[in-house]
Amino acid sequence: MEIIVYGVINSVILSLMALGFTLVYSIARMPNFAHGALYITTGYLAWLFMNSFMSLPYPVAVVLAIGITAAIGALIYRFVMIRIRGMEISEIIATYAIGLAILEGLRWGGLRGMTFTLPPFIAGSTTILGVSVDYQRLVIVGIGLATFAALYLFTHFNRVGLALRGIAQDERAAMMLGIDSDMTAIISLALGSGLAGLAAILLLPLGNIIVEVGYNVLIFAIAVSVIGGLGSWAGTILASFIIGFAQILTEAFLSSHYQMVVALLAIIITLLIKPSGIFGKQKELEERV
Amino acid sequence: MRKKSFYVSMVLSAALFFMPFLSIAQEKPIIIGAPLATAFLYGWDAERGIKLAIDEINAAGGVNVGGKKRPFKAEVIDTRDLEPAVPVADALLAMEKLILDKNADFIVGGPVRSEAALAAMDLLRKHKKISILTTGALTPAYGKRIAENGDKYKYCFRNSSHVPVMMGDFMAILNDLQKDHKFNKAYIMVQDVAHARAGGEYMQKALKEKNWETELKIYPTGTTDYSVGLIDSGKKGAQVLFLWMDMPESAALLQQWSNMKLKSLPMGFMNAAEQPGFWKATGGKGEYMIVNLVNGGNAPAKITPWTMKFVEAYKKKWGLEPEGYGTSSSYMAVYQLKDAIERAKTTDPDVVVAALESQDLMGVYGRMRFDKKTHQIIPSWDPAEGAVTGIIQWQAGKRVQVFPPKAAEGKILFPPWMK
Repeated sequence: MEIIVYGVINSVILSLMALGFTLVYSIARMPNFAHGALYITTGYLAWLFMNSFMSLPYPVAVVLAIGITAAIGALIYRFVMIRIRGMEISEIIATYAIGLAILEGLRWGGLRGMTFTLPPFIAGSTTILGVSVDYQRLVIVGIGLATFAALYLFTHFNRVGLALRGIAQDERAAMMLGIDSDMTAIISLALGSGLAGLAAILLLPLGNIIVEVGYNVLIFAIAVSVIGGLGSWAGTILASFIIGFAQILTEAFLSSHYQMVVALLAIIITLLIKPSGIFGKQKELEERV
Repeated sequence: MRKKSFYVSMVLSAALFFMPFLSIAQEKPIIIGAPLATAFLYGWDAERGIKLAIDEINAAGGVNVGGKKRPFKAEVIDTRDLEPAVPVADALLAMEKLILDKNADFIVGGPVRSEAALAAMDLLRKHKKISILTTGALTPAYGKRIAENGDKYKYCFRNSSHVPVMMGDFMAILNDLQKDHKFNKAYIMVQDVAHARAGGEYMQKALKEKNWETELKIYPTGTTDYSVGLIDSGKKGAQVLFLWMDMPESAALLQQWSNMKLKSLPMGFMNAAEQPGFWKATGGKGEYMIVNLVNGGNAPAKITPWTMKFVEAYKKKWGLEPEGYGTSSSYMAVYQLKDAIERAKTTDPDVVVAALESQDLMGVYGRMRFDKKTHQIIPSWDPAEGAVTGIIQWQAGKRVQVFPPKAAEGKILFPPWMK
């Protein structure tokens, strides 16, 4: 039973890590390699707001931290990415460089050691289907599912959300209808960064705020997105569940230290069988052309 | 006339007062090069230990080198060798820079990663630099190489512990638990890095020989969810969780263990649980964790008269208690060098090597003597006989020394849900 319970939890955790990355790619067609850095930045900002001279209450610190991270995402597009948009290799190099600068800057600035932590939303644990689970993991599943639903509603019933989808589906047609491509890219970067921040606030109470986590989150976000199909939200969620359960099964029946191998092996197998990922389309379109 | 003589006497008195300080300041400093992974606990705490000792020694007049008082000066370089994917060669380059560029006379501290420390031995031989390894590296191969190539690696010393000694300490605790509480099931959870895997495998073998039932799980670096393993440990009735991890995320393991109220006592070598800030970081969930701090004095304890003096001085200078592995040993290494240089009356490395080999000093964590063959500090459970370990248990927010018995400040406590 613990395989089912922790399989679901692990899968939701992976989807939360990857959701922001997928959103940016699906709308702006931009691989945001600063995703992991923005994740850690949010955690550090929240910690700073709570523990520095400001001593803000937890909810205020969290909202403020996510807001600032979203603004950083928008600024990254407005001042850097706007100049190199469409040049894929440059986009990867630029975002990776920004991420590296942020992470190593945080390390240099004092984010070192094991004492940077965020408290859980609710302390303690309970039993579900006979398996002990702490409340924070239940909060993650709850807010994670609510986030998926909110994103679906936003992109299907909100004007801005519909514009984002329009750009994602056919940028030229959307522009002819008056949708500003750069503005949607700014919104998508802000939203994607905000989602990275939300994931950080939910997931970091399970561990520590450390620079290395930023790199790990980026690896998992890429793994999930590649397997699901770059830019596909449904693919991201499905891939999260595949990797999430595969990792738990590996730990239960094989050995826990193969967990990372499973994720990387899944990428290789997916690329061999279906190069575009489970729901990806770009490679298939290229082949058809 | 009286006024003039008053001024003259004032000037003369001031000159006499400042004379010793002026003479120290004018003498060429003895440079201690410290290659350390400064972004990590084992690096920054070692740096603080070294700087504290240097400040104390310089304030007391410096090092008496054949009648001349010379100050110590620290040159710290970041080896980054605890960061993932940083090659060993980078740590060696950093160390060579200390020797060639910063003109280090002696090396104290790292390299911190065992692989880098072993690789640096040839560099020390090439440049004839005495090194006292004080932090990070726990491999027994260091002393073994010195024993097998005595002349080649005679400049290398280590005043901290290593894995077999630490395992012996743990086994003593586990034997007591087996005898007094009938414990016989241990669940071993280690990180997927060389020293932790070796430690876990060694412990499994040693426990099996003592008729314990064991299970070994290895976790990749960065793991934040240990639930499946912990649930399994509960199902198998483990009474001891033996942990060996140096990644910060391992604090999550203790949080989960506490939330699940598992009927097992956690113990081991866990970097995250060493620091004074661990209690706050885990919201007290790490209570009852037994941690090996490798050397005594890395947490407050009354091991020797010097221990608490060191603890208080460290608190005064850095604003917190000694933090963990590498603190007391790095501090002591500077005093060991001072003692050896003063007895050798020179900084000539070959003469200082002989002085270090014959050293017998009562330090922060017991009697400090190097084994002549391995150049490894001689360990003991009695501070009057050798260097003692610092095994502490988190009890009500404090790190309480619980082993060895002669240095213990309290007894091992069990979580209330184990009853």
